[in-house]
Amino acid sequence: MPKIVVDPITRIEGHLRIEAIIEGGKIADAWSSGTMWRGIENIVKGRDPREVWLFVSRICGV
Amino acid sequence: MGTKDTIYEGLFNYGITRRDFMKFCTTMSATLALSSTSIPKIAEALQQKKKPYAVWLHFQECTGDTESLLRATKPSIAQIVLDIISLEYHETIMAGSGHSAEKALHDVVKNQKGKYFALVEGSIPTKDGGIYCVIAGKTAVEIAKEVCGNALVTINVGSCSCWGGIGSAKPNPTGATGTASVVPGIKYINLPGCPANAENITATIVHYLTFGTLPALDRYNRPLFAYGKRIHDNCERRPHFDAGQFVRKWGDEGHRLGWCLYEMGCKGPMAYQNCPTVKWNDGISYPIQSGHPCFACASNDSWDVFGPIYNRAPHVPGASYQATADKIGAAVVAGTAAAVATHAVIRTFLGYKQKERFSKEKNEADKMK
Ligand code: SF4
Repeated sequence: MPKIVVDPITRIEGHLRIEAIIEGGKIADAWSSGTMWRGIENIVKGRDPREVWLFVSRICGV
Repeated sequence: MGTKDTIYEGLFNYGITRRDFMKFCTTMSATLALSSTSIPKIAEALQQKKKPYAVWLHFQECTGDTESLLRATKPSIAQIVLDIISLEYHETIMAGSGHSAEKALHDVVKNQKGKYFALVEGSIPTKDGGIYCVIAGKTAVEIAKEVCGNALVTINVGSCSCWGGIGSAKPNPTGATGTASVVPGIKYINLPGCPANAENITATIVHYLTFGTLPALDRYNRPLFAYGKRIHDNCERRPHFDAGQFVRKWGDEGHRLGWCLYEMGCKGPMAYQNCPTVKWNDGISYPIQSGHPCFACASNDSWDVFGPIYNRAPHVPGASYQATADKIGAAVVAGTAAAVATHAVIRTFLGYKQKERFSKEKNEADKMK
């Protein structure tokens, strides 16, 4: 079973990896992974709630 | 260094007129705080020099710096930047992906060793073997070492690649840090900001192409032309600060009249960047002008040292009218014993202020019941 890996996927924000199994010219199974993590959900814990929007808006700047 | 076309030919091919080109050279000269005699020098350099190779790396980022660059209107800075350099690798805008994208990057590193610009957006995670940012099977640490380590100069675009930015805010879950601490000894310039300003990115490249050197830097490796002045000193609300006219509540009369935002948490008195003069979105506005306090996004560790964002900044020693970035840096910004001490003072002060304010607000709310 041939496997295709496309990493990085471009023209998107962030980092994405796709792995696909090909059977008879068709995709039989596939996996996607986000390959970057900053832990913003942990960074905002315990902060002044009024400023959290400034943190979470930086999850994606697009 | 460079490709086949000269920069000017490249611009011309994209329909940028001679008039636009000269306008651009004039803007660059002004942004770099050079005298008007440098305009022909810039024009000459851009007309004669071959386009230099450049790669743009994305690590732990939100693509905000890319957006900052690409969202300008026509004849856009983005168009000009993308035309004055031969951008061989940029994940957000390149056509190839997977292996072909990686090949483009490695070709530049191999064939243009020591001759290309490495622009870096995003912090680099160092915890747990660097697994929190992996591209094509390689960690950001490995990529930075290879790509920045072989570059002519590394341009850190945005606070994250300068010193970690938001990813390194407490408790810094991934051990995020800036390029220079992962690849020590490289030649680099920091263009912090959240995001970085497109005009400053372009001006830095233009300076290198015209004079063959980086512009003069401060002790945080930031160019003085962009980070040499305090926001507070060029702020259009400054007369209101001096007159003691402060916004006290969102939407109050002072807010509607454009009074000073200091009481609402503005960190302009401690922040260094050319936002009030260069502005954003093609010179339309910037946070303070639109009614929101500055939170010192271009300062090291801004999220923790200068926060909470909506709390009034204390009177920090050294934050006087005449203070320079370096002097204030010594007193406020992390990295020195004084900074740690000041930080503690600020924290205690803010904690106290916050408690005081909350209890006051609670009392007022109780009265209204
Ligand atoms: S405190 Fe902020 S809003 Fe007020 S004058 Fe200074 S920079 Fe401007």
